[in-house]
Amino acid sequence: MAMRKVAVVGAGMTKFMRRAQETGRELAFQASRMALDSCEMTLDDIDAVALGTAPDAFDGLHMKGEYLSDGAGAWHKPYMRCYVGGGTGVFAAIQGWYHVASGLFDTCLVVCEEKMSSCMPHPQGAFLTIFDHTTERALKPNLIWIFALEMNRYMTMHGIEKKDIALVAVKNKRNALDHPCAQLAANITVEDVLNSEVLAWPVQRLDISPTSDGAVAIVMAAEHVAKRITDKPAWVRGVGWSLDTAYWTSRDLYYPKYVEYAARMAYDMAGITEPRKEIHVVEPYDPFDYKELHHLEGLLLADKGDAPRLTAEGVTARDGNMPVCPSGGMLGVGNPIAAAGLMKISEIFWQLRGEAGKRQVPGQPKTGLAQSWGDLMQVGCVMILGV
Amino acid sequence: MSLVERITTSADAKVWYDNIPIESLYTVGIAGEKFFRAIKDRGVIMGSVCPSCNLTYLPPMMYCERCLAELEEWVEVGTKGTVHTYTVVGVSLEGEPLEQPEILALIKVEGAHGGLVHRLGEVKPEDVEIGMPVEAVFKPKKGREGSILDIEHFKPV
Repeated sequence: MAMRKVAVVGAGMTKFMRRAQETGRELAFQASRMALDSCEMTLDDIDAVALGTAPDAFDGLHMKGEYLSDGAGAWHKPYMRCYVGGGTGVFAAIQGWYHVASGLFDTCLVVCEEKMSSCMPHPQGAFLTIFDHTTERALKPNLIWIFALEMNRYMTMHGIEKKDIALVAVKNKRNALDHPCAQLAANITVEDVLNSEVLAWPVQRLDISPTSDGAVAIVMAAEHVAKRITDKPAWVRGVGWSLDTAYWTSRDLYYPKYVEYAARMAYDMAGITEPRKEIHVVEPYDPFDYKELHHLEGLLLADKGDAPRLTAEGVTARDGNMPVCPSGGMLGVGNPIAAAGLMKISEIFWQLRGEAGKRQVPGQPKTGLAQSWGDLMQVGCVMILGV
Repeated sequence: MSLVERITTSADAKVWYDNIPIESLYTVGIAGEKFFRAIKDRGVIMGSVCPSCNLTYLPPMMYCERCLAELEEWVEVGTKGTVHTYTVVGVSLEGEPLEQPEILALIKVEGAHGGLVHRLGEVKPEDVEIGMPVEAVFKPKKGREGSILDIEHFKPV
Protein backbone atom coordinates (compact mmCIF):
# COMPACT_ATOMS: atom_id res chain seq x y z
CA MET A 1 0.00 0.00 0.00
CA ALA A 2 1.46 3.33 -1.02
CA MET A 3 0.29 5.72 1.64
CA ARG A 4 1.66 9.16 2.34
CA LYS A 5 3.07 10.26 5.67
CA VAL A 6 0.57 12.32 7.66
CA ALA A 7 1.16 14.50 10.71
CA VAL A 8 -0.95 16.25 13.30
CA VAL A 9 0.22 19.86 13.18
CA GLY A 10 -2.31 21.72 15.35
CA ALA A 11 -4.92 21.19 18.04
CA GLY A 12 -7.48 23.14 20.03
CA MET A 13 -10.22 22.42 22.52
CA THR A 14 -12.97 24.19 24.42
CA LYS A 15 -13.55 23.76 28.10
CA PHE A 16 -15.52 20.64 28.90
CA MET A 17 -18.49 21.60 31.06
CA ARG A 18 -21.84 20.49 32.35
CA ARG A 19 -23.86 22.94 30.28
CA ALA A 20 -22.44 25.33 27.73
CA GLN A 21 -24.26 28.48 26.68
CA GLU A 22 -22.77 28.04 23.22
CA THR A 23 -24.70 26.08 20.63
CA GLY A 24 -23.07 22.96 19.27
CA ARG A 25 -21.94 24.74 16.12
CA GLU A 26 -20.47 27.56 18.22
CA LEU A 27 -18.49 24.99 20.24
CA ALA A 28 -17.30 23.42 16.98
CA PHE A 29 -16.24 26.86 15.75
CA GLN A 30 -14.28 27.66 18.91
CA ALA A 31 -12.31 24.41 18.76
CA SER A 32 -11.71 24.76 14.99
CA ARG A 33 -10.52 28.35 15.35
CA MET A 34 -8.10 27.39 18.13
CA ALA A 35 -6.74 24.45 16.15
CA LEU A 36 -6.10 26.65 13.09
CA ASP A 37 -4.57 29.42 15.21
CA SER A 38 -2.29 26.93 16.96
CA CYS A 39 -0.51 26.23 13.66
CA GLU A 40 -1.06 29.67 12.10
CA MET A 41 -3.25 28.30 9.33
CA THR A 42 -6.38 29.79 7.80
CA LEU A 43 -9.47 28.06 6.53
CA ASP A 44 -8.17 28.60 2.99
CA ASP A 45 -5.30 26.24 3.83
CA ILE A 46 -7.73 23.41 4.63
CA ASP A 47 -8.63 21.01 1.80
CA ALA A 48 -11.25 18.84 3.57
CA VAL A 49 -13.10 18.56 6.85
CA ALA A 50 -13.80 15.39 8.85
CA LEU A 51 -16.41 15.62 11.57
CA GLY A 52 -17.15 13.25 14.42
CA THR A 53 -20.20 13.52 16.63
CA ALA A 54 -22.28 10.97 18.52
CA PRO A 55 -26.07 10.46 18.39
CA ASP A 56 -28.21 13.23 16.96
CA ALA A 57 -30.44 12.73 20.00
CA PHE A 58 -27.82 14.31 22.27
CA ASP A 59 -28.02 17.73 20.67
CA GLY A 60 -31.70 17.20 19.86
CA LEU A 61 -31.03 17.86 16.17
CA HIS A 62 -31.35 15.36 13.40
CA MET A 63 -28.80 15.75 10.60
CA LYS A 64 -26.44 17.03 13.28
CA GLY A 65 -23.45 16.61 10.97
CA GLU A 66 -24.97 19.08 8.56
CA TYR A 67 -25.95 21.42 11.39
CA LEU A 68 -22.37 21.48 12.68
CA SER A 69 -20.73 21.80 9.27
CA ASP A 70 -20.30 25.57 9.12
CA GLY A 71 -18.86 25.78 12.64
CA ALA A 72 -16.42 23.07 11.60
CA GLY A 73 -15.26 25.14 8.63
CA ALA A 74 -16.81 22.91 5.97
CA TRP A 75 -18.31 25.65 3.80
CA HIS A 76 -17.63 24.75 0.15
CA LYS A 77 -15.31 21.90 1.16
CA PRO A 78 -15.42 18.12 0.91
CA TYR A 79 -16.96 17.08 4.22
CA MET A 80 -17.90 13.84 5.91
CA ARG A 81 -19.28 12.92 9.30
CA CYS A 82 -18.39 9.64 10.92
CA TYR A 83 -20.04 8.02 13.89
CA VAL A 84 -18.98 4.90 15.75
CA GLY A 85 -20.49 5.73 19.13
CA GLY A 86 -17.92 6.35 21.85
CA GLY A 87 -15.19 5.34 19.42
CA THR A 88 -15.95 8.36 17.23
CA GLY A 89 -13.24 10.71 18.52
CA VAL A 90 -10.29 8.56 17.49
CA PHE A 91 -12.10 7.26 14.43
CA ALA A 92 -12.65 10.83 13.17
CA ALA A 93 -8.87 11.32 13.33
CA ILE A 94 -8.40 8.05 11.45
CA GLN A 95 -10.83 9.39 8.87
CA GLY A 96 -8.78 12.59 8.61
CA TRP A 97 -5.66 10.47 8.30
CA TYR A 98 -6.88 8.42 5.35
CA HIS A 99 -8.19 11.51 3.59
CA VAL A 100 -4.59 12.77 3.58
CA ALA A 101 -2.66 9.47 3.46
CA SER A 102 -4.59 8.49 0.33
CA GLY A 103 -3.26 11.50 -1.51
CA LEU A 104 -6.73 12.93 -2.03
CA PHE A 105 -6.09 15.97 0.18
CA ASP A 106 -3.01 17.69 1.56
CA THR A 107 -4.72 18.99 4.68
CA CYS A 108 -7.75 17.99 6.74
CA LEU A 109 -9.40 19.70 9.70
CA VAL A 110 -10.84 17.10 12.09
CA VAL A 111 -13.55 18.37 14.43
CA CYS A 112 -15.47 16.54 17.17
CA GLU A 113 -18.39 18.06 19.08
CA GLU A 114 -20.92 16.95 21.63
CA LYS A 115 -23.56 18.88 23.51
CA MET A 116 -25.03 16.33 25.84
CA SER A 117 -26.72 18.82 28.16
CA SER A 118 -29.48 19.30 25.59
CA CYS A 119 -30.64 15.75 26.19
CA MET A 120 -33.20 15.66 29.00
CA PRO A 121 -33.72 14.36 31.57
CA HIS A 122 -30.46 12.49 30.85
CA PRO A 123 -28.55 11.31 27.75
CA GLN A 124 -29.18 7.78 29.06
CA GLY A 125 -32.62 8.18 27.54
CA ALA A 126 -31.09 8.07 24.07
CA PHE A 127 -29.20 4.89 24.93
CA LEU A 128 -32.27 2.97 26.05
CA THR A 129 -33.04 2.13 22.45
CA ILE A 130 -29.60 0.78 21.49
CA PHE A 131 -30.52 -2.62 22.89
CA ASP A 132 -32.28 -5.32 20.92
CA HIS A 133 -35.90 -4.28 20.99
CA THR A 134 -37.25 -7.83 20.85
CA THR A 135 -35.12 -9.69 23.40
CA GLU A 136 -33.71 -7.08 25.74
CA ARG A 137 -35.56 -3.80 25.86
CA ALA A 138 -38.49 -5.13 27.85
CA LEU A 139 -36.03 -5.61 30.73
CA LYS A 140 -35.21 -1.88 30.58
CA PRO A 141 -31.42 -2.25 30.31
CA ASN A 142 -29.28 0.89 30.40
CA LEU A 143 -25.63 1.55 29.86
CA ILE A 144 -24.69 1.41 33.52
CA TRP A 145 -26.25 -2.04 33.74
CA ILE A 146 -24.13 -3.48 31.03
CA PHE A 147 -20.95 -1.84 32.26
CA ALA A 148 -21.73 -3.36 35.65
CA LEU A 149 -22.02 -6.80 34.05
CA GLU A 150 -18.74 -6.30 32.19
CA MET A 151 -16.93 -4.88 35.23
CA ASN A 152 -18.11 -7.71 37.46
CA ARG A 153 -16.94 -10.27 34.91
CA TYR A 154 -13.54 -8.55 34.67
CA MET A 155 -13.15 -8.37 38.45
CA THR A 156 -14.24 -11.96 39.01
CA MET A 157 -12.09 -13.51 36.28
CA HIS A 158 -8.96 -11.92 37.74
CA GLY A 159 -9.83 -11.64 41.42
CA ILE A 160 -9.64 -7.85 41.30
CA GLU A 161 -11.13 -5.81 44.12
CA LYS A 162 -13.00 -2.55 43.74
CA LYS A 163 -10.38 -0.65 45.69
CA ASP A 164 -7.80 -1.65 43.07
CA ILE A 165 -9.98 -0.17 40.36
CA ALA A 166 -10.87 2.97 42.34
CA LEU A 167 -7.20 4.01 42.11
CA VAL A 168 -7.79 4.87 38.46
CA ALA A 169 -10.54 7.37 39.33
CA VAL A 170 -8.30 8.88 42.02
CA LYS A 171 -5.34 9.19 39.60
CA ASN A 172 -7.26 10.61 36.66
CA LYS A 173 -9.30 13.16 38.60
CA ARG A 174 -6.08 14.32 40.24
CA ASN A 175 -4.27 14.57 36.89
CA ALA A 176 -7.14 16.70 35.64
CA LEU A 177 -6.36 19.36 38.28
CA ASP A 178 -3.63 20.48 35.88
CA HIS A 179 -5.91 20.65 32.84
CA PRO A 180 -7.38 24.11 32.14
CA CYS A 181 -10.36 22.59 30.33
CA ALA A 182 -11.30 20.03 32.98
CA GLN A 183 -14.82 19.61 34.31
CA LEU A 184 -14.40 17.14 37.18
CA ALA A 185 -10.86 17.58 38.45
CA ALA A 186 -10.64 16.68 42.13
CA ASN A 187 -8.49 15.34 44.89
CA ILE A 188 -10.42 12.29 46.01
CA THR A 189 -9.49 9.12 47.85
CA VAL A 190 -10.16 5.45 47.25
CA GLU A 191 -12.57 5.62 50.21
CA ASP A 192 -14.53 8.40 48.49
CA VAL A 193 -15.02 6.13 45.48
CA LEU A 194 -15.97 3.13 47.62
CA ASN A 195 -18.42 5.23 49.64
CA SER A 196 -20.09 6.84 46.64
CA GLU A 197 -23.61 5.86 45.65
CA VAL A 198 -23.99 2.37 44.19
CA LEU A 199 -25.69 2.75 40.82
CA ALA A 200 -25.55 -0.87 39.69
CA TRP A 201 -23.05 -3.01 41.56
CA PRO A 202 -20.09 -2.85 41.11
CA VAL A 203 -20.50 0.54 39.40
CA GLN A 204 -20.59 3.47 41.82
CA ARG A 205 -20.99 7.14 41.07
CA LEU A 206 -17.28 8.04 41.27
CA ASP A 207 -16.38 5.17 38.93
CA ILE A 208 -18.05 7.08 36.08
CA SER A 209 -17.17 10.05 33.88
CA PRO A 210 -19.71 12.89 33.64
CA THR A 211 -21.88 13.98 30.73
CA SER A 212 -20.38 17.06 29.13
CA ASP A 213 -20.55 19.73 26.47
CA GLY A 214 -17.41 20.47 24.48
CA ALA A 215 -15.50 20.33 21.23
CA VAL A 216 -11.97 19.49 20.07
CA ALA A 217 -10.28 19.98 16.69
CA ILE A 218 -6.97 18.98 15.15
CA VAL A 219 -5.26 19.83 11.87
CA MET A 220 -3.70 17.01 9.86
CA ALA A 221 -1.31 17.55 6.96
CA ALA A 222 0.69 15.61 4.40
CA GLU A 223 4.46 15.47 4.89
CA HIS A 224 5.46 18.27 2.53
CA VAL A 225 2.86 20.61 4.04
CA ALA A 226 3.50 19.56 7.64
CA LYS A 227 7.21 20.31 7.35
CA ARG A 228 6.43 23.78 6.08
CA ILE A 229 3.98 24.48 8.91
CA THR A 230 5.94 23.28 11.90
CA ASP A 231 9.28 21.91 12.95
CA LYS A 232 7.48 19.64 15.43
CA PRO A 233 5.00 17.55 13.42
CA ALA A 234 3.51 14.60 15.32
CA TRP A 235 3.50 11.84 12.72
CA VAL A 236 0.71 9.34 12.54
CA ARG A 237 2.68 6.12 12.79
CA GLY A 238 -0.19 3.68 12.94
CA VAL A 239 -3.97 3.41 13.01
CA GLY A 240 -6.26 0.51 13.71
CA TRP A 241 -9.86 -0.24 14.33
CA SER A 242 -11.89 -3.37 14.79
CA LEU A 243 -15.42 -4.44 15.55
CA ASP A 244 -16.65 -7.37 17.61
CA THR A 245 -20.09 -8.97 17.38
CA ALA A 246 -22.99 -6.67 18.18
CA TYR A 247 -24.49 -9.44 20.33
CA TRP A 248 -22.92 -8.65 23.66
CA THR A 249 -24.25 -11.97 24.92
CA SER A 250 -21.76 -13.63 22.54
CA ARG A 251 -18.70 -11.85 23.95
CA ASP A 252 -16.87 -12.94 27.09
CA LEU A 253 -16.70 -9.31 28.31
CA TYR A 254 -13.71 -9.80 30.62
CA TYR A 255 -11.27 -9.03 27.77
CA PRO A 256 -11.74 -6.60 24.83
CA LYS A 257 -10.47 -8.75 21.96
CA TYR A 258 -11.56 -6.10 19.43
CA VAL A 259 -9.22 -3.56 21.11
CA GLU A 260 -6.39 -6.06 20.75
CA TYR A 261 -7.11 -6.46 17.03
CA ALA A 262 -7.23 -2.68 16.58
CA ALA A 263 -3.97 -2.31 18.51
CA ARG A 264 -2.23 -5.06 16.52
CA MET A 265 -3.24 -3.34 13.28
CA ALA A 266 -1.77 -0.06 14.53
CA TYR A 267 1.40 -1.66 15.94
CA ASP A 268 2.01 -3.51 12.66
CA MET A 269 1.64 -0.31 10.67
CA ALA A 270 3.98 1.50 13.06
CA GLY A 271 6.50 -1.35 13.05
CA ILE A 272 6.13 -1.66 16.81
CA THR A 273 7.02 -5.11 18.10
CA GLU A 274 7.40 -4.39 21.80
CA PRO A 275 4.63 -1.96 22.67
CA ARG A 276 5.40 -1.90 26.38
CA LYS A 277 8.85 -0.53 25.61
CA GLU A 278 8.01 1.52 22.56
CA ILE A 279 4.86 3.34 23.72
CA HIS A 280 5.87 6.13 26.12
CA VAL A 281 2.56 7.74 26.95
CA VAL A 282 -0.97 6.36 26.68
CA GLU A 283 -4.46 7.84 26.57
CA PRO A 284 -6.82 4.86 26.67
CA TYR A 285 -10.57 5.41 26.77
CA ASP A 286 -11.67 5.75 30.40
CA PRO A 287 -15.40 6.53 30.66
CA PHE A 288 -15.34 4.19 33.67
CA ASP A 289 -12.31 3.57 35.86
CA TYR A 290 -12.18 -0.17 35.10
CA LYS A 291 -12.21 0.59 31.36
CA GLU A 292 -8.74 2.16 31.55
CA LEU A 293 -7.46 -1.14 32.95
CA HIS A 294 -9.50 -3.25 30.55
CA HIS A 295 -8.16 -1.25 27.62
CA LEU A 296 -4.51 -1.29 28.75
CA GLU A 297 -4.78 -5.08 28.67
CA GLY A 298 -6.49 -5.07 25.27
CA LEU A 299 -3.76 -2.75 23.97
CA LEU A 300 -1.21 -5.39 25.11
CA LEU A 301 0.35 -2.79 27.42
CA ALA A 302 -0.42 -4.95 30.45
CA ASP A 303 -0.90 -8.69 30.96
CA LYS A 304 -4.49 -9.81 31.38
CA GLY A 305 -5.63 -8.90 34.87
CA ASP A 306 -2.35 -7.11 35.65
CA ALA A 307 -3.28 -3.49 34.89
CA PRO A 308 -4.51 -2.86 38.47
CA ARG A 309 -1.08 -3.83 39.80
CA LEU A 310 0.61 -1.37 37.41
CA THR A 311 -1.72 1.31 38.70
CA ALA A 312 -1.11 0.46 42.36
CA GLU A 313 2.65 0.51 41.80
CA GLY A 314 2.54 3.93 40.16
CA VAL A 315 3.68 2.71 36.73
CA THR A 316 0.73 4.52 35.13
CA ALA A 317 1.15 7.73 37.15
CA ARG A 318 2.16 10.86 35.26
CA ASP A 319 5.73 10.39 36.43
CA GLY A 320 5.63 6.59 36.14
CA ASN A 321 7.33 4.42 33.55
CA MET A 322 4.21 4.33 31.39
CA PRO A 323 2.04 7.40 32.07
CA VAL A 324 -1.63 6.66 31.42
CA CYS A 325 -4.21 9.43 30.99
CA PRO A 326 -1.85 12.25 32.03
CA SER A 327 -4.59 14.59 30.76
CA GLY A 328 -6.95 13.48 33.50
CA GLY A 329 -8.89 11.37 31.06
CA MET A 330 -12.62 11.39 30.70
CA LEU A 331 -13.01 10.71 34.42
CA GLY A 332 -11.38 14.06 35.17
CA VAL A 333 -11.51 16.25 32.06
CA GLY A 334 -15.01 15.20 31.08
CA ASN A 335 -16.79 13.11 28.51
CA PRO A 336 -18.42 14.94 25.60
CA ILE A 337 -18.39 11.62 23.75
CA ALA A 338 -16.79 12.26 20.35
CA ALA A 339 -14.82 15.27 21.61
CA ALA A 340 -13.42 13.21 24.50
CA GLY A 341 -11.84 10.75 22.07
CA LEU A 342 -10.24 13.52 20.03
CA MET A 343 -9.08 15.15 23.28
CA LYS A 344 -6.97 12.02 23.78
CA ILE A 345 -5.27 12.49 20.40
CA SER A 346 -4.70 16.16 21.26
CA GLU A 347 -3.16 15.22 24.59
CA ILE A 348 -0.71 12.84 22.90
CA PHE A 349 0.07 15.61 20.38
CA TRP A 350 0.83 18.09 23.17
CA GLN A 351 2.80 15.54 25.22
CA LEU A 352 5.01 14.56 22.27
CA ARG A 353 5.71 18.20 21.47
CA GLY A 354 6.50 19.00 25.09
CA GLU A 355 3.60 21.45 25.20
CA ALA A 356 1.45 19.84 27.90
CA GLY A 357 2.43 22.39 30.55
CA LYS A 358 1.85 21.16 34.10
CA ARG A 359 0.60 17.88 32.65
CA GLN A 360 3.85 17.19 30.82
CA VAL A 361 5.17 13.69 31.44
CA PRO A 362 8.93 13.54 32.06
CA GLY A 363 11.50 12.01 29.71
CA GLN A 364 10.57 13.60 26.38
CA PRO A 365 8.23 10.87 25.11
CA LYS A 366 8.73 9.97 21.46
CA THR A 367 5.73 7.74 20.85
CA GLY A 368 2.20 7.87 22.25
CA LEU A 369 -1.06 6.03 21.78
CA ALA A 370 -4.67 7.18 21.96
CA GLN A 371 -7.58 4.77 21.98
CA SER A 372 -11.34 5.08 22.02
CA TRP A 373 -14.09 2.54 22.42
CA GLY A 374 -17.77 2.53 21.68
CA ASP A 375 -20.54 1.58 19.29
CA LEU A 376 -22.42 -1.21 21.08
CA MET A 377 -19.45 -1.56 23.45
CA GLN A 378 -17.58 -3.52 20.77
CA VAL A 379 -15.51 -1.15 18.65
CA GLY A 380 -11.90 -0.26 19.35
CA CYS A 381 -10.09 2.60 17.59
CA VAL A 382 -6.36 3.25 18.00
CA MET A 383 -3.97 5.91 16.75
CA ILE A 384 -0.22 5.99 17.41
CA LEU A 385 1.66 9.28 17.04
CA GLY A 386 5.40 9.73 17.05
CA VAL A 387 7.99 12.50 16.85
CA MET B 1 -43.47 -10.80 0.57
CA SER B 2 -45.08 -8.03 2.53
CA LEU B 3 -46.69 -8.29 5.92
CA VAL B 4 -50.21 -8.24 4.48
CA GLU B 5 -49.49 -11.12 2.11
CA ARG B 6 -48.38 -13.33 4.96
CA ILE B 7 -50.84 -12.26 7.60
CA THR B 8 -54.22 -11.04 6.48
CA THR B 9 -55.10 -9.41 9.82
CA SER B 10 -52.31 -7.16 11.02
CA ALA B 11 -53.38 -7.74 14.63
CA ASP B 12 -52.17 -11.34 14.19
CA ALA B 13 -48.57 -10.12 13.92
CA LYS B 14 -46.66 -9.38 17.07
CA VAL B 15 -46.23 -5.62 17.12
CA TRP B 16 -45.98 -3.03 19.86
CA TYR B 17 -45.46 0.66 20.40
CA ASP B 18 -42.59 2.26 22.26
CA ASN B 19 -40.59 5.49 22.14
CA ILE B 20 -37.22 7.07 22.78
CA PRO B 21 -37.85 8.81 26.09
CA ILE B 22 -35.99 12.08 25.76
CA GLU B 23 -36.74 15.75 25.58
CA SER B 24 -34.34 18.49 24.55
CA LEU B 25 -33.28 21.63 26.37
CA TYR B 26 -31.77 24.07 23.89
CA THR B 27 -29.64 27.17 24.35
CA VAL B 28 -29.77 29.91 21.72
CA GLY B 29 -26.00 30.32 21.97
CA ILE B 30 -23.72 33.32 22.06
CA ALA B 31 -24.99 34.95 18.85
CA GLY B 32 -28.58 33.87 19.46
CA GLU B 33 -28.57 35.53 22.86
CA LYS B 34 -27.82 38.95 21.30
CA PHE B 35 -30.22 38.42 18.41
CA PHE B 36 -33.22 37.45 20.52
CA ARG B 37 -32.56 40.03 23.25
CA ALA B 38 -32.59 42.76 20.59
CA ILE B 39 -35.93 41.50 19.29
CA LYS B 40 -37.43 41.14 22.76
CA ASP B 41 -36.15 44.34 24.36
CA ARG B 42 -35.93 46.71 21.42
CA GLY B 43 -37.98 45.28 18.59
CA VAL B 44 -35.05 45.39 16.18
CA ILE B 45 -33.37 42.79 13.99
CA MET B 46 -29.59 42.52 14.31
CA GLY B 47 -27.07 40.94 12.01
CA SER B 48 -23.39 40.17 12.56
CA VAL B 49 -20.76 41.50 10.18
CA CYS B 50 -17.65 39.90 8.71
CA PRO B 51 -15.63 42.88 7.47
CA SER B 52 -13.09 40.77 5.59
CA CYS B 53 -15.70 38.77 3.67
CA ASN B 54 -18.00 41.80 3.41
CA LEU B 55 -21.02 39.87 4.65
CA THR B 56 -23.77 40.60 7.16
CA TYR B 57 -25.16 37.40 8.62
CA LEU B 58 -28.88 37.05 9.24
CA PRO B 59 -29.68 35.08 11.33
CA PRO B 60 -26.52 36.40 12.99
CA MET B 61 -23.67 34.01 13.74
CA MET B 62 -20.78 34.37 16.17
CA TYR B 63 -18.36 33.37 13.40
CA CYS B 64 -18.01 33.75 9.66
CA GLU B 65 -18.57 30.40 8.00
CA ARG B 66 -16.33 31.41 5.10
CA CYS B 67 -13.18 32.44 6.99
CA LEU B 68 -13.95 31.26 10.55
CA ALA B 69 -13.27 34.70 12.01
CA GLU B 70 -15.04 35.50 15.25
CA LEU B 71 -17.55 38.25 14.48
CA GLU B 72 -17.43 41.22 16.83
CA GLU B 73 -19.35 43.80 14.80
CA TRP B 74 -23.15 43.88 15.02
CA VAL B 75 -25.57 46.10 13.10
CA GLU B 76 -29.29 46.65 12.92
CA VAL B 77 -30.40 45.35 9.55
CA GLY B 78 -33.77 47.06 9.65
CA THR B 79 -37.14 45.38 9.70
CA LYS B 80 -37.91 45.60 5.98
CA GLY B 81 -37.23 43.13 3.24
CA THR B 82 -38.60 41.47 0.14
CA VAL B 83 -40.35 38.16 -0.49
CA HIS B 84 -37.69 35.98 -2.10
CA THR B 85 -40.06 33.02 -2.47
CA TYR B 86 -43.20 31.78 -0.71
CA THR B 87 -45.69 28.95 -0.37
CA VAL B 88 -49.32 28.73 0.74
CA VAL B 89 -49.81 25.83 3.14
CA GLY B 90 -53.19 24.15 2.60
CA VAL B 91 -53.09 21.16 4.97
CA SER B 92 -51.84 20.64 8.49
CA LEU B 93 -49.07 18.16 9.40
CA GLU B 94 -51.87 15.70 10.22
CA GLY B 95 -53.20 16.10 6.69
CA GLU B 96 -56.31 18.09 7.66
CA PRO B 97 -57.30 21.01 5.43
CA LEU B 98 -56.44 24.35 7.10
CA GLU B 99 -59.38 26.68 7.53
CA GLN B 100 -57.03 29.63 7.23
CA PRO B 101 -54.26 28.80 4.74
CA GLU B 102 -50.86 29.85 6.05
CA ILE B 103 -48.42 31.82 3.89
CA LEU B 104 -44.75 31.03 4.58
CA ALA B 105 -42.04 33.06 2.91
CA LEU B 106 -38.28 33.39 2.70
CA ILE B 107 -37.71 37.07 3.33
CA LYS B 108 -34.47 38.68 2.27
CA VAL B 109 -33.82 41.56 4.60
CA GLU B 110 -32.20 44.76 3.33
CA GLY B 111 -28.68 45.13 4.55
CA ALA B 112 -28.01 41.42 5.07
CA HIS B 113 -26.97 38.64 2.75
CA GLY B 114 -29.18 36.15 4.55
CA GLY B 115 -32.79 36.34 5.54
CA LEU B 116 -35.55 34.88 7.66
CA VAL B 117 -38.22 32.30 7.03
CA HIS B 118 -41.46 33.62 8.46
CA ARG B 119 -45.20 33.94 8.03
CA LEU B 120 -46.83 36.60 5.89
CA GLY B 121 -49.87 38.32 7.38
CA GLU B 122 -52.38 41.05 6.60
CA VAL B 123 -52.39 39.87 2.98
CA LYS B 124 -54.45 37.40 0.94
CA PRO B 125 -52.59 34.46 -0.65
CA GLU B 126 -53.63 35.57 -4.12
CA ASP B 127 -52.09 39.01 -3.57
CA VAL B 128 -48.61 37.74 -2.61
CA GLU B 129 -45.86 38.12 -5.20
CA ILE B 130 -42.21 37.29 -5.28
CA GLY B 131 -40.29 40.56 -4.96
CA MET B 132 -43.01 42.15 -2.84
CA PRO B 133 -41.67 44.52 -0.14
CA VAL B 134 -42.64 43.51 3.40
CA GLU B 135 -41.86 44.52 6.97
CA ALA B 136 -41.79 42.77 10.32
CA VAL B 137 -44.73 43.13 12.72
CA PHE B 138 -43.64 42.58 16.31
CA LYS B 139 -45.80 41.38 19.17
CA PRO B 140 -46.50 44.01 21.83
CA LYS B 141 -43.41 44.26 24.04
CA LYS B 142 -45.20 42.76 27.06
CA GLY B 143 -45.91 39.52 25.23
CA ARG B 144 -42.41 38.93 23.84
CA GLU B 145 -40.43 35.94 25.06
CA GLY B 146 -37.15 36.12 23.15
CA SER B 147 -38.42 33.82 20.39
CA ILE B 148 -38.59 34.07 16.62
CA LEU B 149 -42.37 34.19 17.18
CA ASP B 150 -41.91 37.61 18.86
CA ILE B 151 -42.18 38.65 15.22
CA GLU B 152 -45.84 37.88 14.55
CA HIS B 153 -45.45 37.97 10.79
CA PHE B 154 -44.23 40.14 7.93
CA LYS B 155 -46.81 42.33 6.21
CA PRO B 156 -46.80 44.13 2.86
CA VAL B 157 -45.33 47.62 3.09
